[in-house]
Amino acid sequence: MRSPSYSVLPARGLRAAVVLALAAGLGTAVPATAHADTAPAPAVPATAHADTAPAPAARPFMGWSSWSMQSSKYPGLNPDGDYSYLTEANVLKQADALAKKLKPYGYEYVNIDSGWWRDRSWKPGFDANGRQRPDPVRFPHGMKAVADHIHGLGLKAGIYLPVGLEKEAYGDGKVPVRDADGCTTADIVHGDLRTTNGWDSAYKLDFSRPCTQKYVDSQARLLASWGYDFLKLDGVGPGSFKSGDNYDNVADVAAWQKAIAATGRPIHLELSWSLDIGHAADWKKYSHGWRVDTDVECYCNTLVSWENSVDDRFADTPGWTRHAGPGGWNDLDSLDVGNGAMDGLTKAERQTYATLWAIAKSPLYTGDDLTRLDDYGVKLLTNREVIAVDQSASPPARPVTPSDPQQVWAAKNPDGTYTVALFNLADAPAAVTADFSALGFTGKAAVRDLWNHENLGSHRNTITEALPAHGSRLFTVTPHGSALTTTGYEAEAGTNTLGGNASVADCSACSGGKKVGNLYLGGTLRFDHVVVDRPGTYLIEVAYVSGDARPVNVSAGAGAVTRHTFPSTGDWGTVEKVAVPVTLKAGSNTLTFDSGPDYAPDIDRVDVPSSPRQ
Amino acid sequence: MEHPPSRRGFLALAAATGALTALPAFTATAAPRRPTALPAADARHQLWWRAPADEHSLIQQGLPVGNGRLGALATNDPGRELLLVTDATMWTGGLNDTLDSDGQFPYGRDDFGSLTLLARLTVDLPDHDLAAVTGYRRTLDLAQGVVTTSYVHSGTTYRRQLLASHPDDVIVLRFSQSGGGRYSGTITLDGTHGESGTADSFAGGFPNGLRYGAAVAAYGSGGSIRTTGSHLAFSGCRELTVVLSGGTDYAPDPAAHYRDPALDPRALARTKVRAAARHSADTLLRTHVADHRALFDRFGLTLGTSSAGQRSLDTWERLRARARDGEPDPELEAAYVQFGRYLMIAGSRDSLPIGLQGPWLDGNDPDWMGDYHTDINIQMNYWMADRTGLSPCFDALTDYCLAQLPSWTELTRTRFNDPRNRYRNSSGRIAGWTVAISTNPYGGGGWWWHPAGNAWLCNSLFEHYEYTASRTHLEKIYPLLKGACEFWETRLVTHTPPGGGREVLIADSDWSPEHGPLDARGITYAQELVWALFGNYRTAAAELGRDADYARAVGALRDRLHLPAVSPETGWLEEWMSPDNLGETTHRHLSPLVGLFPGDRIRPDGSTPAGIVAGATALLTARGMNSFGWANAWRALCWARLKNPDKAYQLVVNNLRPSTGGGNGSAPNLFDIYEVAQGRGIFQIDANFGTPAAVTEMLLYSRPGHLELLPALPDAWAAAGSLTGAGARGGFLVDLDWRDGRPTEVRIRSVGGTMTSVGHAGTSRTVRVRPGETVTLRDFAR
Repeated sequence: MRSPSYSVLPARGLRAAVVLALAAGLGTAVPATAHADTAPAPAVPATAHADTAPAPAARPFMGWSSWSMQSSKYPGLNPDGDYSYLTEANVLKQADALAKKLKPYGYEYVNIDSGWWRDRSWKPGFDANGRQRPDPVRFPHGMKAVADHIHGLGLKAGIYLPVGLEKEAYGDGKVPVRDADGCTTADIVHGDLRTTNGWDSAYKLDFSRPCTQKYVDSQARLLASWGYDFLKLDGVGPGSFKSGDNYDNVADVAAWQKAIAATGRPIHLELSWSLDIGHAADWKKYSHGWRVDTDVECYCNTLVSWENSVDDRFADTPGWTRHAGPGGWNDLDSLDVGNGAMDGLTKAERQTYATLWAIAKSPLYTGDDLTRLDDYGVKLLTNREVIAVDQSASPPARPVTPSDPQQVWAAKNPDGTYTVALFNLADAPAAVTADFSALGFTGKAAVRDLWNHENLGSHRNTITEALPAHGSRLFTVTPHGSALTTTGYEAEAGTNTLGGNASVADCSACSGGKKVGNLYLGGTLRFDHVVVDRPGTYLIEVAYVSGDARPVNVSAGAGAVTRHTFPSTGDWGTVEKVAVPVTLKAGSNTLTFDSGPDYAPDIDRVDVPSSPRQ
Repeated sequence: MEHPPSRRGFLALAAATGALTALPAFTATAAPRRPTALPAADARHQLWWRAPADEHSLIQQGLPVGNGRLGALATNDPGRELLLVTDATMWTGGLNDTLDSDGQFPYGRDDFGSLTLLARLTVDLPDHDLAAVTGYRRTLDLAQGVVTTSYVHSGTTYRRQLLASHPDDVIVLRFSQSGGGRYSGTITLDGTHGESGTADSFAGGFPNGLRYGAAVAAYGSGGSIRTTGSHLAFSGCRELTVVLSGGTDYAPDPAAHYRDPALDPRALARTKVRAAARHSADTLLRTHVADHRALFDRFGLTLGTSSAGQRSLDTWERLRARARDGEPDPELEAAYVQFGRYLMIAGSRDSLPIGLQGPWLDGNDPDWMGDYHTDINIQMNYWMADRTGLSPCFDALTDYCLAQLPSWTELTRTRFNDPRNRYRNSSGRIAGWTVAISTNPYGGGGWWWHPAGNAWLCNSLFEHYEYTASRTHLEKIYPLLKGACEFWETRLVTHTPPGGGREVLIADSDWSPEHGPLDARGITYAQELVWALFGNYRTAAAELGRDADYARAVGALRDRLHLPAVSPETGWLEEWMSPDNLGETTHRHLSPLVGLFPGDRIRPDGSTPAGIVAGATALLTARGMNSFGWANAWRALCWARLKNPDKAYQLVVNNLRPSTGGGNGSAPNLFDIYEVAQGRGIFQIDANFGTPAAVTEMLLYSRPGHLELLPALPDAWAAAGSLTGAGARGGFLVDLDWRDGRPTEVRIRSVGGTMTSVGHAGTSRTVRVRPGETVTLRDFAR
């Protein structure tokens, strides 16, 4: 029933189709028909069932992972030393709780993280074929028994491995590879025993040697034989804070995909951590998800903390956004929002955390103690409207404003509505406004508050709400207005004035095929004739290219200079847009983008709405 | 303004009565007026915000309320209303009369003392988490004196009003709703100094013997309110009113060591909240609004019309837009003036005057003790009062000085000539009184001696007389003026200019405030202040018919005072009786210009030698335009005196710049922030008063016998505007309308003055008016 190639081609074909659909959706203006001013709550998709055989990772996976509790110094969690939380008893306890409390909402994976083959002093155990062997103290009944229990609950079982041949498995090179005539561990690594992975804890596998794939095959067969449905492959590079040839594990990942396919069991392959975005195509080709950032855990007295490192995701996610889709997702790491005291976060921070994960369409796996969820945590983890944002066919959201402390993210959904999130990343409460013109329309829209399950009625041109420190709102906005009319100005136009190092460069993704780049160390781009009829504050849309998040000073005429950081577009060939407020006078204005003493994004064009804000 | 210092008398009365039937009033006034209607609100006087305050950033974001004695900063957070409350008398420290080894004063929180917090009130409404409400807005209505918070939660509109009532002497938090909502939660009253108490009150004391206490009561409709442990818990209430009171046993009486031993603050606070709770929230509100408006409505200001776009912005966005776009926002600029007046009404009535922060603290240890700084700050605080129709609020300063005088006199007599004090009188003689740079409410000084501080305080007190023509006030302050003159009689030394010339009197060795050498004789600051003091004293003695011989003697001394010259080196008016620049060119203080403002010895009207005016102008120019809060305000006032509207306006605008990250400017709540170190901003209230003073000084200059209309009207306000109820020296209240930069009508009402010239644009006419009557003038030349 499951062909070996099942997990490869169909998934990629599906992804291409969806991308086309999304592109079509974006090209569509506001829906022509105006309906009632309330948006219906979207239904939550049905939980995937094994017998329907869906495409792998058609949606971001949902579940639980052991690592947050293992890695925490929260009192009582790891009484027998670091990472000692990981035991059969604890995993089954969490699996039972997941089945009872969260399964009805779509959570299905119970993922065992690092250490299942390591004893309490973190010493690893291996079988006679150099494969990880369950630690008999942690898992006295072995890994299959655990998977069986999980399956018995109607859930799926996940497991973990580091990439490469762990040094302790090498055994002087004499350890035979399972079912691989004559191959030993010496035949699968490089002669110089070069090391790999994020911790340099393994010898790099040499896939030019015929025995090597067989080792990975043997590992995959073992996991499949135990019945696992999910593998987190960790320490993968380029990424995991490593770069260079020794840490290029693309071949490992490809081998794992092949090995998994060969088992006939559809094992989800998730990659960790801080994967190199330059290899996004590889990760998409060979896996179902990739961690875009470092661990969310703080390795402190709580599971996580806002600064370490939930808030990093706001800057680190946008570059990845366009890479997420059916078959492979941007993994923001564990969603630890279920118990305020253990999480180490305020209520506002927990909601914001869940909001970003949902709109980014990250896998939703909590690392909380599911036996101790508090009421607010249950509300966050079981909000069907928010889960639907993550699980629906809508695209992931990305920022439509610069990365200011108050920022707005949005995605246009296939049904013409928008998913809009407001964020206040400041340390104090603040009002945050979503301008509908930043979404591409003007006039009225119906707004539904997804967290509070409340229709907020009709709003005209904007919606503003007060957000707590580190707070958020999540809306579905159903437009009933008209498409925004704008006047475009190309950066490369000859009527503009370039200063400093600034120069025109080719850019195939840019409108007109060109952009203005080299905006660094005093480089300036000045649009000399931005004409509007009426004075006021205009939300201009800036199309730009920036392989990393970069600041730029924006000013109109002799007005004050405002510094904005534009989110990363992921590489230097992708154009994204943000809306920036500038105050223009009636008639002709200059509009200047100045790098100041820094390195600014490349500018493709600006689009100026025909009327000012409000 | 003629209220006797009343707090102590009242507190004694209150403590003696105790029983609820004989309700103590907090002031000696009659029972409060309790109107049955509420006056309409006016959007021009409303500041508003779209987000609540962070409880850790209350100084920048909390909205202030005060009843002239009690002050509070509030978060207005739907889920957790937090109030940090203090009382103007909540001071540690004491007389502090053991000098340090350098003959100066200790300046710590135990010896000199510090203003500190009284209480922390929280009302938790767990269901009303900010993340679960929509349409949030909070409004500070400057005219009504009420902070209103509103939001929608599950379809119900909830409204919360916060006020600090002077007549009922309580802070009131009223929770209401429309749409069938209910309130459930807890009320917690805590001290901030480790006190233990009950759910409804606590008491505490400091090592200096000060006792204090606070109490809370809650009442409502529907639901239940009960005591649970250390909280008051309420459940299912359709409406809820929380009242808080508190205070100390401070008494402004040196003979009683500044205490009223008969007063039990906790018991009195409980009496007050119970008394207030017998009135409906509506009654408390209307009573408060009537009381507040009686002061607020005495003065009006219109500087022009703002655009619809500007009006649509919340106050913080509006400040940011003002700075970003550079477009004048005349309604915002007028509202900034009214905000200063709001703070004055809220902070300066019947108790101690407003110090560096007024009664608005966000912690127990305010910077510089939240004290009284006598080398600019307390004077600046009160420049605005008479100018903007708040003469009654000035009395707190007068009463304070009077209550300190015996102690200041004794300290001066016994400590000033300490041989270790570098500022001691080289004559060896001592008389009268002076102060330190910092003063506390216990007769004590802090930091360094400030010999000329007495003259500056006296000159401020005398200006209040010039505005109000109140003989009662003059009689009260006369001993202060005379004592200050006596001090200077012993302190002036003779000086013969090198190369001969007339022998003059100069101030002994001193420090031009916070600037330059510590041992300069004849500093301009002292020469100017003493020159004005002596003149004021002579006027006072003549007016009161007292001490004619001594007044003549003081007049003779005045005639011999050295007056500052212009340096041939710098072209500036000299600061240190030296041609050299001995300090920082752009120093914050304008001490050598004290004769330009607030004094008016230096006038650009031809009566002052042109060279002196030019020297003052050059010095002011050199000091620069880019300072912070009070320094900008003082500069603006000086430029207004020099009739330079552009510079004066720019400096006002500089103080309206939004303060972010601790930078100089206005915080979201409009408190002025001084960036004392990179990224560290401190609230100093003086600019919130000095800047409004500058705005009025740009529109109306006055000295006894002369009014000048629109002396420094900037283009931004020129189109049309009006001023009503502005005080003018000489004993007048002035209404002024203008259009196209020119007065169209001025109404001059006498509060005691009888004759003045009225000038505009080089023309002048003389007006005679009887006390209580008004003269209207029109037809001003362009």
